[in-house]
Amino acid sequence: MRNSAQLRHEFLKAWIKSLKIYSNLKKNMSISHRKNAIKLSADVAIASITQKAKPSASSHRWTQSLMADAASSDDGTNRIFVEQTLGYKLGNRKKSPTTGLMTKCSKKILRNNIRVFLGKSRKRTTPKHAKAGSIIANKGVEKRTRLLKRLVPGGEDMDEISLMEEALDYIALLQVQRDVLKQVAAVAESLRNLKSVN
Amino acid sequence: MMHCLNADAGNAKMSVLERRLNWQRDQFPATYYVSENDLPGAGAFFALNNDDRGIGDVMVGGAMKPDPGTENGWVGDLSRMILNYGNRSEVEVSRAFPGTVISPPATAPAGVGKEADFGSSTANSKKRKVDKAQNPKGSSEEIFEEKKVKVYADEESKMTGQNSNSNSKSTTTTTTGSNETNKKNTTKGPSNGNPKASDAPKTDYIHVRARRGQATDSHSLAERVRREKISERMKYLQDLVPGCNKITGKAGMLDEIINYVQSLQRQVEFLSMKLAAINPRLDFDIDNYLAKEIFPSCTSSFPSHLVNAAHLHYNASTQGISGPIPEIGRTISPPVVSMADSFLDSSCFNQIQHLTWEDDLQNLFSMEYQQGRPAAFTSQPFTGFLEAGNVKLEM
Repeated sequence: MRNSAQLRHEFLKAWIKSLKIYSNLKKNMSISHRKNAIKLSADVAIASITQKAKPSASSHRWTQSLMADAASSDDGTNRIFVEQTLGYKLGNRKKSPTTGLMTKCSKKILRNNIRVFLGKSRKRTTPKHAKAGSIIANKGVEKRTRLLKRLVPGGEDMDEISLMEEALDYIALLQVQRDVLKQVAAVAESLRNLKSVN
Repeated sequence: MMHCLNADAGNAKMSVLERRLNWQRDQFPATYYVSENDLPGAGAFFALNNDDRGIGDVMVGGAMKPDPGTENGWVGDLSRMILNYGNRSEVEVSRAFPGTVISPPATAPAGVGKEADFGSSTANSKKRKVDKAQNPKGSSEEIFEEKKVKVYADEESKMTGQNSNSNSKSTTTTTTGSNETNKKNTTKGPSNGNPKASDAPKTDYIHVRARRGQATDSHSLAERVRREKISERMKYLQDLVPGCNKITGKAGMLDEIINYVQSLQRQVEFLSMKLAAINPRLDFDIDNYLAKEIFPSCTSSFPSHLVNAAHLHYNASTQGISGPIPEIGRTISPPVVSMADSFLDSSCFNQIQHLTWEDDLQNLFSMEYQQGRPAAFTSQPFTGFLEAGNVKLEM
């Protein structure tokens, strides 16, 4: 089992490697470009790590969406970069934004039809007034889950349960990224200070 | 009836494991019962967590959170475990779960009497029990475990042997029993024979047991299971997101989660911007050193110096920075400063002066550590390393 220290270690390695690849691809980047390059390579690194950890993890939603985002940027170099880093060719993945909606709708329709069909065999399980409060409460939850869906990459099409899992993973990986970046930044800054002292 | 009770006690044990087994193997015939107890799979989950082999230890030690000491390990484990949903179908089933409609399969007539006894024997166990560590008690954790926990091999065989005839009910009991408010236990046994040589499951169903005094129709059962799953994951998220212990309720928790994710994203963005600003070229070359692994050979070849130095530095910063930062910063600075002085005197420092920023960190490290004693660069404690290190860890 990898603990977080190992994860960070591996992430650092992968990240440095991907940074190298990127800097070989492009020279003389502006600062914002560099920043994006850093972020992109960090994301790619984290994705490649999770893929290595568990091959089937590539089916993990957020890795896929990450790749899709990276690959679809207008600058062709991004795509090349990602492919090089990951070592395989990215298929053209078209994310249809409506799939999630459609499946939900269809499920709802199906469920409603079944309910209608079963009709009276269903008892009312909770009294009406109890429902009202929960409905109001659920509105807030719905809003927030929508927010969370937007935050977590690849989260749009998922149902609540898998959204939670994705969020868990995403948080864990964000933490890894942040920690490693923090350390590298600290090292870099201290080295720069050291140099500037003299 | 009496003999049934004994069998039931055994059955209870086995049924949970077997249910997990079934879930794991996707073998179930369609029964559908909701867990009677409220005990989330937390205990089992964490037990799984602690077990390095990833085998589903049925240590349902109650709904306990892992101790904070394992938090770091848990994070990695979590993602690994989540990534380890070996059986894709499990995930898919769970996704399909809310919409799953149970249909009565043809099942062995294992004896409704058995179930009834089982039901009655555990009828009073509505509250979650802290089960004995190795006993997979009742239905408590199955819902969650069924997804994540792998079963011990020997337990599997034991269960299958004993459960070969426990193929009971199905939905017939669930649907016809809609009038019953009693808990029903419908267990689906695996197909007779070795579950390890699992036949491909025909249908993916989850065993759920209705709680006492609650509706037993399939939809509310499904909803309840779904709700329990969500609350499970909320609990894990609570552990992951700092400062969430006080908050109950989905909305508040989600708020915290969203805030935390946003703050993490912002931090990453800010840090990458900082790095981009510091570095005119993206050339962190630590990779060279870290790639070759660690252990310092005292032969002190050039790469090994770097390896050790960089690796140790990294390790040190890993351990140090993740801890309470201000304190470490304070404790670190004195030795660093003193060492910095000594390094100032060394000739290598003059060389460092000549280094432009664009030079590889590699060169920098080599300058610094060539002077150092190779023996010092073993996997040393944090402070020991810092004495050799010349880097201020600022946070």
